[in-house]
Amino acid sequence: MLKLLQNEWMKLWAKKGTWIMAALMIILIFSMSGIVKWADGLNDNNSDWKTTVQGNLEMEKASLDTNVLKGESKRHAEENVQIYEYRLANDVAPLSDSSRESMIYDPSVGSIALLLTVVVAAGIVASEFSQGTIKMLLTRPVKRWKILTSKYVTVLLFGLLLMLIGFATTILSAYIFFPSGGGQALTVSGGNVVETSAWGHGFYMLLLSFGNVIITATFAFMIGSVFRSSGMAIGLSLFIYFSGNVIVVLLSRFEIVKYLLFTHMDLTVYESDFVINDAITLPFSLAVLAVYLVVFLIVSYSVFTKRDITA
Amino acid sequence: MEQNAIVELKNLSKTIHGKKIIDDLSLQLYPGQITGFLGPNGAGKTTTIRMLVGLMKKSGGEVVIDGQTLSSDFEEALSKVGVIVENPEMYKFMSGYKNLLHFARMHKGVTKERIDEVVKQVGMQNRIQEKVGTYSLGMRQRLGLAQALLHRPKFLILDEPTNGLDPAGIREFRDYLRLIAKTENVSVFVSSHMLSEIELMCDRIAVIQNGKLVNLRDMREAQETHYYVEALPIDKTSELLTTLGFQAESVNDGFVIQAEKTQVPELVQDLAAAGIELFAIQPHRKTLEDQFLEMTGGGQLAETSSK
Repeated sequence: MLKLLQNEWMKLWAKKGTWIMAALMIILIFSMSGIVKWADGLNDNNSDWKTTVQGNLEMEKASLDTNVLKGESKRHAEENVQIYEYRLANDVAPLSDSSRESMIYDPSVGSIALLLTVVVAAGIVASEFSQGTIKMLLTRPVKRWKILTSKYVTVLLFGLLLMLIGFATTILSAYIFFPSGGGQALTVSGGNVVETSAWGHGFYMLLLSFGNVIITATFAFMIGSVFRSSGMAIGLSLFIYFSGNVIVVLLSRFEIVKYLLFTHMDLTVYESDFVINDAITLPFSLAVLAVYLVVFLIVSYSVFTKRDITA
Repeated sequence: MEQNAIVELKNLSKTIHGKKIIDDLSLQLYPGQITGFLGPNGAGKTTTIRMLVGLMKKSGGEVVIDGQTLSSDFEEALSKVGVIVENPEMYKFMSGYKNLLHFARMHKGVTKERIDEVVKQVGMQNRIQEKVGTYSLGMRQRLGLAQALLHRPKFLILDEPTNGLDPAGIREFRDYLRLIAKTENVSVFVSSHMLSEIELMCDRIAVIQNGKLVNLRDMREAQETHYYVEALPIDKTSELLTTLGFQAESVNDGFVIQAEKTQVPELVQDLAAAGIELFAIQPHRKTLEDQFLEMTGGGQLAETSSK
């Protein structure tokens, strides 16, 4: 199996496109930091954090008082109130938007890594068919499921590598472009307000966004191995990725939205102020994603191992 | 055949969309022997070969390679097989060497030294580090042969192997196949449309039509002596040949008969005695093409021409 992985890895990096993708990851992240820096220079940035926090606190309290909040939304609002009060009482400023720490706190590498990983996932099986090399690959004394597994693992490793490259670039650009600012990120843990490290949170965000990379790439992998067309796989995957939110909003009144893939693809919402549905939590999302993942893989494996190669 | 078969196709069948593409095909292949596989388009050659190498699942029957059953011991059975299916498509964006390395990793026990040895055997030392995309078709065929030989297979399957080779290349290829069949006792199974090629290369031919094996013969058997007789009047000649016990087959302006050399003088006397004007009598070599067309009923396309 290790040799098969070596093979896939060798083929992946023998293509120029792969190197271009890795370079693109680095360039995009650097330019995004540059744009943030430039936009930041345009703001006068004189507002006092205490006034902002005070304003936010009053808004959260007002919405809690109306008693329309339930479940997750309510919990979320209560936690925010707790944090705001803690900040004001203990004079702890939030992270400044243009500080080194806030860049690391919320690295935005997930979506770029996802798009690039989808391209690789879509092509890794489909390209063997379009090149005609599938005949050479499958007339070896190696069972087909092993070959497919080596390809799937390669996709995941590539996704992981891109995330790490992206995070490393984020850190580097954070150190180049931004000063270390004051402020401290806070979170509620076990009913108490605690300080969180920007680095730890950054890694956690990376992990959450990797969920989306895995599920979308697996979808692309499935379409690529079933229909043997990487174009179709890329197209459908991106359609799902971009239209998912719209579909969730359209169907949000119905119970079924809880079980849709789209609702759960972006796990980083659990770290934001946005609540999709009051009844769903991170473990529930993970469970739903796992079910979809297994279904996608079952489809990929059964089609790939049974197919007659006639091309 | 005193030797045991290395490959056995037992009642192999394939049904696609309710159509029998391969119907109860049984065939044995022996070590050191080159077997040609012939048949009109759509007869099922490619389908048979693809079932042999695991690209297609069979609908019925069994393939046994060196004692291992393909369906239950896939990896063991296929580890004895070297394959070139049609044009050997390689990874164009990698060098020839990396392509070989790639396939070598998929077999057990192929060392770097073995790769170098095979590269030398097919005469590609100078170009092996260049990208396959820059190779000519002939070079790709050589690389295709190299990948099939890496793991010293006991059984070599070739589908249209000389496609794209120049005459010198074809000859070299043929000599090489003969050599490894003899020295390494490899059993070779070649499908080709180039009948003259098969004729020069093979010890035995198997002919398939409409998914059934219609003929299997040793090439030496096929070399019966035939004579071409041209004489007038035609009807009288035909009559006489028949009464003399020859099977006369009308070819061009005369007839082809099967006869021993020693029968010829007597035949000439008989013809002269009957007052027939004899213009020519000469040895006639039935080419494989003639025999092939005979066996498969002329140019008639196979009924099950799929695809």
